[in-house]
Amino acid sequence: MSKEMVAMILAGGQGSRLYALTDKLAKPAVPFGGKYRIIDFPLSNCVNSGIDTVGILTQYQPLVLNEYIGHGQPWDLDRLHGGVHVLPPYQQAKGSDWYKGTANAIYQNLSFLRRYDPEYVIILSGDQICKQDYNDFLEFHKAKGADFSVAVMEVPWDEASRFGLMVTDSDGRISEFQEKPKQPKSNLASMGIYIFNFDILEKYLEADEANPDSSNDFGNDILPALLKDGKKMYAYRFNGYWKDVGTISSLWEANMEVLNPESSGINLFDDDWKIYSRSSGKAAQYISDKAVIDNAMLTNGCRIFGTVRHSILFAGVEVEEGAVVEDAVVMGNVKISKGAKVVHCIVGENAFIGEDAVVGEKPEPGNEKNVATVGPGVSVGNRAVIGGTAMVKEDVGEGGKC
Amino acid sequence: MLTNKHDALAIIFANSYDNEVPSLVNERLMASIPFAGRYRLVDFTLSSLVNCGIDNVSIIVKKNYRSLMRHLGSGRPWDLVRKNGGLNIVPPYAEKGIKVYNGRVEAVASILEFLKGCKEQYVFMTDSNIACKFDFSDMIRAHQESGADVTIAYKNEAIPYSFMNMQLTQTTDLYYTLDLDGNRVVSINTNSKEYGPQNLSMNLYLTEREKLIAQIEKAYAQGHVFYERDVLAPMIGTEKICGYEFKGYSARISDMVSYFDENMKLLDPKNLKALFDGSDVYTTVRDDNPARYCSGSKVSNSLIADGCVIEGEVDNCVLFRGVHVGKGTKLKNCVVMQDTVIAGNCDIEYTIMDKEVNIASGKSVKGEKTFPVFVPAYKQIL
Repeated sequence: MSKEMVAMILAGGQGSRLYALTDKLAKPAVPFGGKYRIIDFPLSNCVNSGIDTVGILTQYQPLVLNEYIGHGQPWDLDRLHGGVHVLPPYQQAKGSDWYKGTANAIYQNLSFLRRYDPEYVIILSGDQICKQDYNDFLEFHKAKGADFSVAVMEVPWDEASRFGLMVTDSDGRISEFQEKPKQPKSNLASMGIYIFNFDILEKYLEADEANPDSSNDFGNDILPALLKDGKKMYAYRFNGYWKDVGTISSLWEANMEVLNPESSGINLFDDDWKIYSRSSGKAAQYISDKAVIDNAMLTNGCRIFGTVRHSILFAGVEVEEGAVVEDAVVMGNVKISKGAKVVHCIVGENAFIGEDAVVGEKPEPGNEKNVATVGPGVSVGNRAVIGGTAMVKEDVGEGGKC
Repeated sequence: MLTNKHDALAIIFANSYDNEVPSLVNERLMASIPFAGRYRLVDFTLSSLVNCGIDNVSIIVKKNYRSLMRHLGSGRPWDLVRKNGGLNIVPPYAEKGIKVYNGRVEAVASILEFLKGCKEQYVFMTDSNIACKFDFSDMIRAHQESGADVTIAYKNEAIPYSFMNMQLTQTTDLYYTLDLDGNRVVSINTNSKEYGPQNLSMNLYLTEREKLIAQIEKAYAQGHVFYERDVLAPMIGTEKICGYEFKGYSARISDMVSYFDENMKLLDPKNLKALFDGSDVYTTVRDDNPARYCSGSKVSNSLIADGCVIEGEVDNCVLFRGVHVGKGTKLKNCVVMQDTVIAGNCDIEYTIMDKEVNIASGKSVKGEKTFPVFVPAYKQIL
């Protein structure tokens, strides 16, 4: 049975700039927004856009991601034909290889794509927070009669030199790429989301693989080759919320933006575009008579006896009496003991914060990117102090300092 | 047999004690009454069964079962989509001239052929008006140890007020207390009016499948209706009936006041832990976003489910999934079921709001502790 469009999500990234958070799991499996993981966003976008066949390309620490995706039921992707498939590199008759680059990852799974005989393939990134209707994107691609389209965001001109830019004519046709240029000719930044006509994709991936000098990367190799051959390449402007959460500070920032949907534009309270996730199965959250909660988002299983301000708490977080949580992202099943202060930081899943411990500090204005991080499962002893820029992977003993 | 799986199946009676909570079961039945912020009563029984490795579950329904069917779906949230066993919903099989059953005997008689086709050695039968974490494995162990023919689970507690004050009519619900000698049941009392703690039956029974089939075939042929009164009580002299005391935390729904009180009791963290900690209670997934506590909101001593948006003040309340509390509204001592929307500047106390109620801004609704006001589902107070 053929599918009009199949989605491939690049989820192989190690996410080394997320430091301790990605020690044991791939970046797309990093928790986000109280009850989601990053991969929930591209997956839910696919389903909400009517795409029912999705490949997830993974190779780094796939265990958590594999378990999380399972057979795809939470996203309604447990389908008779299609559905979601996790695609790790595999042994082939002529040997096996890790995915050498983004293009090689898709190349190694061409046989998966051929099974569905798609007209179009959309290539997505597993480390972005974005609500996007891929149907609108496809309509654009078809209307232009394009061979290839890329979703782009308009960015402020003074920041343009940080991005990969698409230089286009007035119709949106791409004439040039600029990778982090000193003198930007365009302010249209690539979001790393591509639609290919499948026959073009197949042809160029095979040619790329045959080229021993290639780095097997979409941005470096495939796109320039298409441009050189004069293929019809178009840039599709996307105006919604989009954020690459590849660093600790951007991950923290995006979570904080969830708290203020009215100004940030990332609205998770949207019945028409739900973000699906695997649910925790915990009881409703309990807020005691001693608790103070102000501008926060809490998830089932939380039990709050202390103070929570401007923070996101994932499922099963316990905040004891006298503890203060402020400007913090606290992931699942963390326990914050009596009198502890957890400020301007990210605390990984299953971490323990001891009594009167201090994690993070309010930064000086201008230093908001300093976000203290406590890795998953780390135990911070009583009265320990974790500084405002510290990133902690190992347990910290009683009264310890980092 | 693996140790994490039991050689037992379960039958749940979904309409038990419907008569005692008429407003709550107007468009549903006992098993699907919302409880504890994000569950339906049946979730507790189903989760306990599944967590004990019992995955062949039949739910016998009599009327108003549409909401339960919608809730249960294929049974996936409880991991009850199984090739062998799984979830089996049994609606009444209405034929010309045959009435819908009254008691347990008639209900079980309607699934005798199914029971004969099963392979499990044991059968649990249970009502659905009690939320608790029940250890079915331990009850099997006790049953085997005592060599009983039938084991009845009971809790040592006072008979609920509404049971004591039941008027005897045709539709009267029956309840049972047990007199015990050791763990052996020496008499089963129907609708006792004794004060103080009694061995009050949870209407949860364990017996062997073959024995149950024989009991029901005989009783049904003789025109009997009630399992306890007509089957068990007469067996006492000849066969061994034992009691199994449940000592854990339980919430028994016996009328509107107890429904309110049992929700409120969960605002004590001790009770909340007793009902929920240790193993998960499963329910349907709604994909709600996390609950949002807006700037300026104030929440105290309350149970809040995902999907709620709170702008006002909430004190001593249980809020189910997707409830909105507007700015300037004061909500005190209330149970608010899913997707109810309360606009701003309202003043509401001692009120149970069923699902999808809509209250316009500036309204005042007040009940008393002994008589909470009930607002039926979908009602609008404009």
